[in-house]
Amino acid sequence: MTHSNDPRGASRRDFFKISASAAAVAPVVASTALHAQPEQKPDPFAPVEVDLVVNGQRRRMALDARTTLLDALRRHAGLTGAKKGCDHGQCGACTVHVGGKRTLSCLTLAVMVREPVTTIEGLAATDGALHPMQQAFIDHDAFQCGYCTPGQIMSAVACVKEGHAGSADEIREYMSGNLCRCAAYPHIVTAIQQAKTQMEG
Amino acid sequence: MNKPTDQTDLSLMKFGIGQPVSRNEDPILVRGEGRYTDDVNFDGQLYAVFVRSPYAHGVINGVDVAPALEMPGVVAAYTGADLVAAGYDTLKCVMPQKQRDGSAMIMPARPALAVDKVRFVGDPVAFVVAETAAQARDAAEAVALDIDPLPAVTTPEEADQPGAAAVYDEAPDNCALDYHFGETEKVDAAFAAAAHVTRLEIANNRVVVNPLEPRSAVARFEGGRYVLNVPTQGVFGFRNSLAGVLKADTKQVHVITGNVGGSFGMKASVFPEYIGLLHAAKALGKPVKWTDQRSESFVSDHHGRDQNVTAELALDAKGKFLAVRISGHSNMGAYLSPVAPLMSTLNIHKNGIGTYTTPLIQVDTRCMFTNTVPISAYRGAGRPEGNYFMERLIDEAAREMGIDPVSLRKRNQIKPSQMPYKTPTDTVYDSGDFTALLERAVEAADWKGFAQRKRESRKKGLLRGRGIGCYLEVTAPPMNEMGGIRFDADGGVTIITGTLDYGQGHWTPFAQVLTTKLGVPFDKIRLIQGDSDKLIAGGGTGGSKSIMASGAAISEAAEKVIEKGKVIASYALEAGVEDIEFAAGRFIIAGTDRGIGVMELAAKLREGGLRLPEDAPKSLDVDHVHRLSPSAYPNGCHIAEVEIDPDTGVTKVVSYVMVNDFGTVVNPLLVEGQLHGGVMQGIGQALMEFTEYDSDGQLVTGSFMDYAMPRADDTPAFSFESRPTPAKTNPLGAKGCGEAGCAGALPSVMNAINDALAEVGVKHMNMPATPRRVWEAIQAAKASAAA
Ligand code: FES
Ligand code: FES
Repeated sequence: MTHSNDPRGASRRDFFKISASAAAVAPVVASTALHAQPEQKPDPFAPVEVDLVVNGQRRRMALDARTTLLDALRRHAGLTGAKKGCDHGQCGACTVHVGGKRTLSCLTLAVMVREPVTTIEGLAATDGALHPMQQAFIDHDAFQCGYCTPGQIMSAVACVKEGHAGSADEIREYMSGNLCRCAAYPHIVTAIQQAKTQMEG
Repeated sequence: MNKPTDQTDLSLMKFGIGQPVSRNEDPILVRGEGRYTDDVNFDGQLYAVFVRSPYAHGVINGVDVAPALEMPGVVAAYTGADLVAAGYDTLKCVMPQKQRDGSAMIMPARPALAVDKVRFVGDPVAFVVAETAAQARDAAEAVALDIDPLPAVTTPEEADQPGAAAVYDEAPDNCALDYHFGETEKVDAAFAAAAHVTRLEIANNRVVVNPLEPRSAVARFEGGRYVLNVPTQGVFGFRNSLAGVLKADTKQVHVITGNVGGSFGMKASVFPEYIGLLHAAKALGKPVKWTDQRSESFVSDHHGRDQNVTAELALDAKGKFLAVRISGHSNMGAYLSPVAPLMSTLNIHKNGIGTYTTPLIQVDTRCMFTNTVPISAYRGAGRPEGNYFMERLIDEAAREMGIDPVSLRKRNQIKPSQMPYKTPTDTVYDSGDFTALLERAVEAADWKGFAQRKRESRKKGLLRGRGIGCYLEVTAPPMNEMGGIRFDADGGVTIITGTLDYGQGHWTPFAQVLTTKLGVPFDKIRLIQGDSDKLIAGGGTGGSKSIMASGAAISEAAEKVIEKGKVIASYALEAGVEDIEFAAGRFIIAGTDRGIGVMELAAKLREGGLRLPEDAPKSLDVDHVHRLSPSAYPNGCHIAEVEIDPDTGVTKVVSYVMVNDFGTVVNPLLVEGQLHGGVMQGIGQALMEFTEYDSDGQLVTGSFMDYAMPRADDTPAFSFESRPTPAKTNPLGAKGCGEAGCAGALPSVMNAINDALAEVGVKHMNMPATPRRVWEAIQAAKASAAA
């Protein structure tokens, strides 16, 4: 809660402030040493340079150090495909690929990202042809409101690539980090099975 | 209608009513190009963050926003006093019910921001507007609240105790409504004369709705009008409610809804935040955006369910149902939501009758205020509960009387020959073959092979049970609905209607209806549903009625297009209007092969290629209002099987069979998805969703780590079948399917669990059957057997 005397200690945001400023400490210390101004504290709110490659495009942004990869994508890069379902790493709606691995972008600070990022907007071929997983989701009606869908699809592509789509049960297990309140789960599983054949074929 | 031409024949085979057409919006959604409210941004927009009460109950001495105003980027901060000074109306309950004695229900006023008292953890008391969301969040933490905590009540039973803390001065006993339905004397007599009475204490556990899209809104004040982008369940009624609170003319309010990431009843309400945002947008002259955080939405979105009842069924010696009586408490939470009492009162007796001939039903509900999140509609809104109470009673009665649960149901089911059937709760069923569906489900579930499966489970050390859930739902009552049809300048055809989908995929089935009725090409059809400026009526979506309401509105609007088209075509074809017939998308001169297609006629009108007299219609466009499609009665039978590990209490639904009567099915692909969703939400409530408050009124289950949601690995093997009998109450013959899954799942799953646990001596397991609770029930049964 937002009560000013919150008895429950440091919030997650406080944690972000701490970890982000810690990350920014090294270069700042070096420069202060150079100029011999030890009393000058780094400003945790000062924007930091973030250099990302998203869907093959280089994006440079000056961001509050606390900015998550998800917010960097949605608010600053204009890529609203990845969704925020919880901001706590508990729902999977924000799943993107970082260096080809499925990653919860809400739990990843943008400043930490070194490898290329792929979002749902970058999954289709450059000529616009849908990825087999996107097509399979359409063929099997694997969604209703579509809010979890970008995360489901990014997770599903990784699930197949990881070799975790061997059986329906294995798919359910390895997709269980992606919540779908509309519960399109049965059709998601069949869609993944179809796409797997095509991705591996 | 004449025989369609071959081309139309083909197109109807692909896109007509009854075809499994994939949804038009799918290619947009899979590319991440959906436009949900948080995806909408305006130049120069500011960000709002709300300050919420950390206490369940307390007196507000002061809310000091001065420290927040000094924080970087902060533009403004508002408290309840600011909104009171602006003179807005309070948020209203629009479905009040009468007290037992006929007097009015107690409806305390709710200002958008709390003024005198806070009444639940999460109650909004102030908000801060800043240049960035992070600045607003930092500043919200600086707002100083001076609140004197008071003792809190969280359960309706506790709230009904003498001396319990009173949530409102005007309701010293915390009772908003003492509801009664039924003929008490006759019911008492039936119970007195009964050969057997079954009695169960049934809990209908509170659930957190948790659509995956958190609520969000962007408010603007432009050209003297309030404009709100917001997820809703229908913009027309929402705009009217909003205008009421703002004390503005409806013409001064514009509501826009894009894609909605799930709602299940919840997002239909006008929430306090929207009033604050519009106030700030007007005061500051800039767009103001707000998006809930998940940890907030657990305490800022309305919750669902929360009712505890004593359910009783009176039977004669042959197992004939004589009367059913449901009495108990329901939780309203701290404020009345727009539909607050509906679910635990009216909808219990309307839906508790189900598929049976029970001649008498009585419902007594004390609707109580507590210091918890307000309760509102959640998928089914009392319909699944009504069915659940009855179906649990039937299974328990069958067990107690030694009658097979299938034959006990059959003995009491309404037969097709009894249609139309008038129930004791003022509904008239028009159609349905309930016993045929039960028999088919029993067959599909391999009822006979159960003993063998049970032996196999036992070899693995597991208990196995099976359960039936026969349901019948009374869909939402009549409301006006718009059926607008526009022939657009670019050659497209636009449907305008006031239901609104939040995942159901209305565009496609509505286009299927229009293509069938009017023969316009499916791929040319668009849908406008989320812009209040475009609507002249609209009942919104809720109560599983969109296909009946909008389907009927579109069908009737298509008829009007044909009437106008005949007149226009008579000039285009130079024939008498009485000689023009319409078939398969073409106006033809009767008895000839001369004619003109509806799209071609629209193009000619557009291009000005027709010379029409003064009194002839100048376009094919239609604004139609469909008046009052009555309720329909979707029904079916679901059968679940579960396995329970007695050592851990872990319960799994291992198979799930559904046989449903949704009347005319426009798109079977989408209906199956709706059923999966409804059933999984039912399984969620039955097996895992546990909303827990501590005695101080803190929500203990306030994140996805603490509150269990159904996941992919909780999904059973599904079998889905449709056995439709078209409804006679609406032109399409549809019955509605959106909430049926919950209505089938709660009873079938819980009956299966109780069937399995009966073997180890557990008499009645309540929802949610979490591993801990199941394990405890087994231990308690063991202990009492040993004693
Ligand atoms: S938004 Fe990242 S896991 Fe939920
Ligand atoms: S499709 Fe709505 S949450 Fe998955």
